[in-house]
Amino acid sequence: MKSLIRTSALIGTLAALAAPALAEDVTITVWAGGSNDGDSYRIEAIEIAADLLEREAAILGEDLNITVEGRRDFTGWEEFKQGITLGAEAGTAPSIVVTSHLDIAPWSQAGYIVAIEDYVDLDSWPLNNVYPNLMEIASYSGTQYGIPQDAESRPFFYWRETMTQIGYSEDEIDAIPDLVASGEYTLANVLADATKAVEMGIVEEGYGFYPRVSNGPDYAQFYQSFGGELIDPETRKLVLDKAAMTEFYQFFVDAVAAGVTRQNHLGTDWNQWYTEVANGRAAFWHGGTWHYGRYAKEGNDDFWGTIQFSLIPAGNENGRANTITHPLVYLVMDQEDDRIEEIASQLIAIATEPRLNSLHAIKSNHLAVAKAQNDVDLYRGNRWASEATEVLLASATAQPNHLQYGAFSEAMFRGLEAAWTGVQTPEEAVAEVEAQMRATIGEDLIVR
Amino acid sequence: MSSRMLGLGFLSPAIIVVSLFFMLPVLLTIVFAFTNMSTATGIMGGAYQINSEQLRTLSDTGVSAETVEKLEAAGFQINEAGLVALADQFGQNTADELRDDYFGETFTARRDLERLLRNLDEPIRQTRDRKDAADLFTVTVIGERFGTEEQFRTALSETGIDAADHDTLITYGYTGWVWTTSNFELLLELPSTLRFAANSAFYVVCTLAFNISFGLFLAISTFYLPGRLANTYRAIWFLPRILPPVLYVLMWNWFTWDNGFIATVTGWFGVAPQNWMLQTTTRAWTTVILINGFVGASLGMILFSSAIKAIPTSMLYASEVDGANRWQQVRHIILPQMRWPILFMTSYQTLSLLTSFEYILLATDGGPGRATEVWALAAYHTALNNYGGNLQYGLGAAYALALVFIGIGLSVVYLRLFNFKELLAKPRIEQ
Repeated sequence: MKSLIRTSALIGTLAALAAPALAEDVTITVWAGGSNDGDSYRIEAIEIAADLLEREAAILGEDLNITVEGRRDFTGWEEFKQGITLGAEAGTAPSIVVTSHLDIAPWSQAGYIVAIEDYVDLDSWPLNNVYPNLMEIASYSGTQYGIPQDAESRPFFYWRETMTQIGYSEDEIDAIPDLVASGEYTLANVLADATKAVEMGIVEEGYGFYPRVSNGPDYAQFYQSFGGELIDPETRKLVLDKAAMTEFYQFFVDAVAAGVTRQNHLGTDWNQWYTEVANGRAAFWHGGTWHYGRYAKEGNDDFWGTIQFSLIPAGNENGRANTITHPLVYLVMDQEDDRIEEIASQLIAIATEPRLNSLHAIKSNHLAVAKAQNDVDLYRGNRWASEATEVLLASATAQPNHLQYGAFSEAMFRGLEAAWTGVQTPEEAVAEVEAQMRATIGEDLIVR
Repeated sequence: MSSRMLGLGFLSPAIIVVSLFFMLPVLLTIVFAFTNMSTATGIMGGAYQINSEQLRTLSDTGVSAETVEKLEAAGFQINEAGLVALADQFGQNTADELRDDYFGETFTARRDLERLLRNLDEPIRQTRDRKDAADLFTVTVIGERFGTEEQFRTALSETGIDAADHDTLITYGYTGWVWTTSNFELLLELPSTLRFAANSAFYVVCTLAFNISFGLFLAISTFYLPGRLANTYRAIWFLPRILPPVLYVLMWNWFTWDNGFIATVTGWFGVAPQNWMLQTTTRAWTTVILINGFVGASLGMILFSSAIKAIPTSMLYASEVDGANRWQQVRHIILPQMRWPILFMTSYQTLSLLTSFEYILLATDGGPGRATEVWALAAYHTALNNYGGNLQYGLGAAYALALVFIGIGLSVVYLRLFNFKELLAKPRIEQ
């Protein structure tokens, strides 16, 4: 009896001593904004990474137990961002978030996120293989806060059959991306061709040029097409180029006047929009590289036979053909326990492994974040991924990570909306945008 | 004494509810409105940091050129103090190698120093250790985040920043919100302010007129219907109020959209399909007013109906004996007795319309081109909706606070104008 007590006491002591020393249980929560079923690898890649990290730890003799809890059922960006910021204020923020790179500036200032460079070696694999321009987009004020989760770009699309009907040969259609890149095919040509398509009755009125239906990075592209610059690289101040802004607004006003774009186009239902452009109801439109997969879902299984794509054409001689990439980034949120931040950062680094990122890129029709992905069979074998990377990503720029960029982009879009819907003339709209920006952005703004 | 306590006890749930859901939001709105609070400043307070982005405007703050230069200079330097600490934590050999080959060298970014530590003959192998080791050589505060003012001050002293500039730098580097009246100055300055105010006034007046007159019409017309039929009609007209707003507005969307009901029906008569909600400003306003008007009218209908029922039927019978027709009954008996319910509905609806925006948000979202953006919706957009991510809580609260004052002002006007004292004095109907 005595020995039994002694033995169980011994076992009890051993267990009490051993358990905390050996097993480490960590729960990592991942929230992904703007993600649907196709984007499941934003979370699943972290789960796979957790498995790898546990194995690495096991080899080093540590019993690391990571539970990954993912969430992406948000009704929209708004709910997601409110959830993140309120959670961060209350100390219940998730460990990892997948969000727009534009959030880096405000969230780092507020202390919601921590710099990933504090926890991972940026010079080691696979982070040293990520495209430098994408790494740059995930940093702010010289600090690497996040790691790009995916890349994309926002091309201009053409419906091939409509182009043929207004007089382009197959070869000419194939040559359009090059003509756009060299500045020979401009937005003026788009307007002329769209008008022709409407006048010839090939597309209905209002369907000549069928743009995005809500605010987004896309509209900054048209500002750039007319020579606008978002940020002055020297002073890092935001730039309002009044001439470029006016011409950019004027283009949409002209499109409405010519009957190729609907005056009440903004606010159209997204599902309706996708169905229409995927099935040739519009002659010209613009969207994102991920639309490739969406069009197939809308019943168009012959993308290459029906649609041509290029950069957003230049608007005039001051501007250039361009496209904006708006990568989502993995960010680590500030936690009470630094160990969680460390593990979260390591998981992000592992999830950036070319093979893992390619799973996401191909499943969700996004572009690669690392160079080596071009050597991963799954990625290289995908025509859309490789061609889109080639045509678009080289010329892609990004919106600036700047504390006031939200105010800038909001004012720019509101002005566009006012001009487009005929509430103000482009000149009036720009004057109001200027007053608005001067008041809200103040010293961080250069007006040209 | 005890009965007084009992009274308080009975009141306490109401007091709690009123202070939690009415007083507290108003107080918070007042507090927020006088701050520059945004996503970037956070809500619960801030820390201290100066990053390289801020360095560009540092000279505007009036700190000495020497300080600016010092802050702009290299972030990391191989110095004796660092080497001693390094030898202590990571081994003498590594420290010696660094001293021999790199003493005095500076690095702008920590990454460069980490690279060096990684590639030494006696390298620091673990990532985490390299980062800790690099931190030993920090000679600047740039990019570092300090939790308290004291830590920041210490760091400034340690990195040799002139003490005269400390206070300026502390104010400059504080990331949290500060008290300010600039939100109100901004409101006065912004060209959109006046438009939103005008939109709000237009919206409230038009919707109110529709609410009251249509509510009255429904109440009076159903009053003259046989009981069961009247109830059925009232139930139908009550639907807009009890439907969830999202569903109700969705039905309006189906009704007015390019391929919706109106477009389809008018299409049979050769009218090109068009959006009956957003095509023009007039249409947007009409839809917005009708959407809100039907919701308000249904409440008015219920209230007015019960008020009409309270009119002694003897008066109506007497008037019929005197040969009055329906219109004369309405004009000379019903309407005069409806003064108070109408006044109540008018004041109640004015206040609720001023602050309500959910139906507009769901229907037009302030479009086309912000033509239907009312004041309350602008407050929402400013404080809680921004594609670029930096939400302006303070400015949004300033918008909302203006509404609170307008609401209080209007309440006072209504109290005066309609003489509520008289209303509360005696039930007039039994006089």
